[in-house]
Amino acid sequence: MELAAIVGERGVRSDALARSAYESDGFMLQREAPSIVVLPRSTEEAAAAVKVLRREGLVVVPRGAGTGLTGGARPIAGGAVLGTARMKRILEINPDDRFARVEAGVVNVHLTAATCSHGLFYAPDPSSQTACTIGGNVGNNSGGPHCFKYGSTNRHVLGLTLVDSDGEITRVGGIEPDPDGIDLLGPLVGSEGMMGLVTEVTVKLEPSPERVETLLVMFESLDACCDAVSDMIAARLEPSAIEILDRLTIEAVEASVLRAGYPEHAEAVMLVEVEGGPHEVDAIATDIIELARARGAFEARRTADDEERKKLWAGRKGAFGAMGRIAPDLYVADVVVPRTRLREIVGVASRACAARGLKLSNVFHAGDGNLHPNISYDRRDADEVARVLAAGKEIMEACVAFGGSLTGEHGVGLEKQGEMCLVFGDDDLAAMSDLRAAFDPHGFWNPGKLFPVRGCREIEARPLGSEAR
Amino acid sequence: MTEAAPHARPFPTDAASLVDHARSLDCIHCGLCLTTCPTYQLTGSETSSPRGRIHLMRAVAEEREEPTVEFAEEMDFCLVCRHCESVCPAGVEFGAMMEFTRGKLEETGTRGPLARLVRWIGFRRILPSRAGLKLAVGGLALAQRLGLTRLAPLVAGLRGEVTAALPPVPPRRERRPLPAVTPARGASRGRALVLEGCVMPELFGRVNHAEARLLAAAGFETMSVPKHVCCGALHAHNGELEQARELARSTIERFDAVDDSCPVVLDSAGCGAHMREYGRLLANDPAWAARAEAFGRRVVDMSEVLAAPESLERLASRLRETTSLRGPITWDAPCHLCHGQQVRSQPLALLDALPGVERVALEGAESCCGSAGIYSVLRPSDSLEVLEPKLEALRRSGARTLVTANPGCHQQWQVGVRRAGLDVEVVHLAEALDRALEG
Repeated sequence: MELAAIVGERGVRSDALARSAYESDGFMLQREAPSIVVLPRSTEEAAAAVKVLRREGLVVVPRGAGTGLTGGARPIAGGAVLGTARMKRILEINPDDRFARVEAGVVNVHLTAATCSHGLFYAPDPSSQTACTIGGNVGNNSGGPHCFKYGSTNRHVLGLTLVDSDGEITRVGGIEPDPDGIDLLGPLVGSEGMMGLVTEVTVKLEPSPERVETLLVMFESLDACCDAVSDMIAARLEPSAIEILDRLTIEAVEASVLRAGYPEHAEAVMLVEVEGGPHEVDAIATDIIELARARGAFEARRTADDEERKKLWAGRKGAFGAMGRIAPDLYVADVVVPRTRLREIVGVASRACAARGLKLSNVFHAGDGNLHPNISYDRRDADEVARVLAAGKEIMEACVAFGGSLTGEHGVGLEKQGEMCLVFGDDDLAAMSDLRAAFDPHGFWNPGKLFPVRGCREIEARPLGSEAR
Repeated sequence: MTEAAPHARPFPTDAASLVDHARSLDCIHCGLCLTTCPTYQLTGSETSSPRGRIHLMRAVAEEREEPTVEFAEEMDFCLVCRHCESVCPAGVEFGAMMEFTRGKLEETGTRGPLARLVRWIGFRRILPSRAGLKLAVGGLALAQRLGLTRLAPLVAGLRGEVTAALPPVPPRRERRPLPAVTPARGASRGRALVLEGCVMPELFGRVNHAEARLLAAAGFETMSVPKHVCCGALHAHNGELEQARELARSTIERFDAVDDSCPVVLDSAGCGAHMREYGRLLANDPAWAARAEAFGRRVVDMSEVLAAPESLERLASRLRETTSLRGPITWDAPCHLCHGQQVRSQPLALLDALPGVERVALEGAESCCGSAGIYSVLRPSDSLEVLEPKLEALRRSGARTLVTANPGCHQQWQVGVRRAGLDVEVVHLAEALDRALEG
C-alpha cells in the first residue's frame, strides 16, 4: 500500500476494529469512526501522506492524543485521521534564548520535564497535560490553571511548521517574539485543525520561579468560595492560578489513586498557587488567606513542598477522569463569565441540571472566570443524552447573556457549533470562513467543525406557530 | 505496609460474555493512561493503548464490533504491565479486565493446534511441576554446555538470539531448595512464610536463599512451604484462568498447612501482585471466596517487610560496606511491584541503607522492561523493542549495577545488557542486600 510505504506498516490502520478506537476523543456524546488512520513519523512523511489522501479524495482530521473535549479530533462522516502521536521528538532546547522547538506529538508535560534542568518550564498546563500533545494544544489554544498568570497557548507560540492541503510545508513565525509581516500565528493558533496540520512548534519557555507555594483553602459554601475569588482579583492579589473544586468532585478525586488530601467535609475548596521571591510569596499568601477567612473559609493550608504540591495538582488534573466513578460518561462544559458573576452562573448550572434530573459537579479555573460544569450521564440512555445537551445549551446561553463566552480553552468542535450563533451573525461567520479558505480553499482539513451546519438565521428562525420565548 | 485493596468485585458469570462489561464502564475516556502504555509508546496507535483496548472490549461486549483476529491480537499485544492503573483517576481495573478477556478468548479457541500443544506443555506440564521444570532447565543447561544455544539464532531467529544471550543456568548448589526453617537471628519477631516459586529455584535459587537470610536477620523465623511449586500468576496473565484457580486453591492449602496466619513474603513481584488478588480470582467460588480474600491480605513483598522500621533498624546494624557490589547502583521497579502492588518507596529505602553505595536514578524506572512474564518468549521482537529505551536510559544513568525484584525482569535485563554489550551487573534486591550482610 502506498501509505504504508510512506509511514511504515505500523503507521496505517484501516481495519474496522482499529478505526473504531478513533471514533471519539474525550467528547462521548456523539461518535463517528474514520475510514483510515495514518500516523506519520515526521513532517516530510505527513506531507507525503497528505498528497496521497488528497488524491484519493479523502478529507483529513488532525489528531494529537485525542484528549479534546468537543469532538474536534474525530471525523463527522468518514475521511482520514492524521495523527501526530509518533512525532514526539524534542528537536531543540535553547536555554539562552529561552525557546524550544518540538514535533507536534510531543506530550505537554514531557516538554517541561525536558527543560526543568535549565530552570525553565513551558507554561500552558491543561489538565490532560500528562497525555495531550503540543500540536493539539496549538489547535485548541489550550489553557490550564496557570494560564491565569501566563496566558493560553497563543501567548507562547513563536513559530509553526504547517502542512497544507497540497502537501506543501510552510514555516510561519520563527524564534523572535514579533515576526515580520502579518502575524499569521494569530489565526492559526486555535484554528482547530481546520487550516492545515501543524507538525512542528517553536514555543517560548518561562524561567522557573524562585519559590512556589500552593494554598488549599476550604469553604462551607461554593458561593462564598466564588465570592472570595472576586475579592482577590479586586484586591489586586495576583497568584499564578486560582482553581475551585466542589464537593462531588472532591469526593471523586479522594476515592481515586490521585487522592490529594482534599477535605471531604468541605463544600468547596480553592486551590491557589503563588510564585515569586520568598517575601513576596509569603505576603501574598497571607493576604489571600485573610481575605478568604473574611468570606467564611474555615481552614487554609500552605505548602512549598514539591511532592505535596504535585499531589494537590494531580488531584485537580485528574478530576475529569475521577468522575468515571459517578457514571460511565461525563460532559465537560467549558464556558467563561466575568469573574464577578461566577456565583450566578453556578446557580444557573445547578438549576439547569436539577430541572432535568442530571448530576452536576463543578471544577473551574476561577481566576479566569472559566467554568467547567461537569454533567455525569450514561451514553446508552438516549433521553439522558438529550437532556445533557439541553442543559449544556442553557448554560452557554446564560454565559453569553452575562457577557461571557462559549469557550474557555476546549474549542468549539462539534459541541458548540450551533451555539456560535449566540455570539456571531452570519456575516461574522462568513468572514471567518473566508479566512479559513485562504489557508484551505478545498475544505480538506477537518470539515464540518466550528461553523454552524446551517446559517444562523435559519437556526434562529422558529417554526410557524411556535411561541416566541 | 501497604494495605491490600479489596478485590471482592467478582468477574461476570455469564458464559456468553467475552468481556467484563461492568468493569469497562468505569472508563470515562479521559486518555490520561495513554503515555504510560508501552505499546502506545511503540506504535502511537490509540487502538494499542489502554483506553483503546477498553473501548474495543466494550464495543465487543455491546456487539458493535466483532471479536475478530485483530481483536485477539490487540489483547495479546498488551504486556499487562498495569502502568495505566497507576494513573487512572477512575480506578479502572485494567489488569483484571484483560485477564478475563484473555481467558475467554482462550476458551473460544482461536489458536492453532501447534500453539495449543506448546501452551499445554508449558502451562500444564512444566510450570506447575518441579520435575517438569527441572527437565526443561536441565535441557537448557545441557544445550548451553554443548554450545548448542550458540546455534539457536540460525534455527529460531530472534527467539534463538535471545536464547543464546541467556545467562548460564546456575550450578546445582545454587538450585537447592530452602531449608524448612531458617531461624531468626536475635529475638524472634514471629514467622514469615516464603514462596520459592516455579522458575525461581531453578534459575535464581540464590535469590531465595538471600531472601531467607535477610528475613532471618530482620528477626523472622522463616518457613518454606514443602512441595509447593506454582502460584498460577503466569496462567492467569495468559488466559488460563481455570488452571490458575486450581493452582490458587492448592497454594492456599499448602501455605495454610504450614501456618495459616503469618505473613506470606514474596521476592517475585509478578507472583505477589497475583496472589494479593486471589480474592477476586476465586470470588465466584463460594467455598473459597472468603478464604482466598483473607489469604490475599497476608501477601506482602519482601521489601515491605524489610523496610518496616524495626526490620530496617536490625538490618542496618548488620550491613557492611562490600566490594562485591559495584556502584553506582540503580533501581528499576518491576511493574507488578510499583503498579500491581503500589510498592514504591520500600526498595529505595533498603538500597539507601547499603553503606558506601551510591544510588543513581534510572529515567522511566516505572515503565515496563518488556519481560511481562512469558511475553518475551511469545513476542520477542515487541519485547526487545519495549526494552530499547530502557537500555538507553541505563546507559545514560552511568550505573554499573541494576537492581530489580522479579525473575522475568531480571532475565530480560540480563539478556538486554548482554546484547547491548553494557558492563552492568543485574541483581535482585535480595542479592544486593545479602552481599552486604555480615556473616
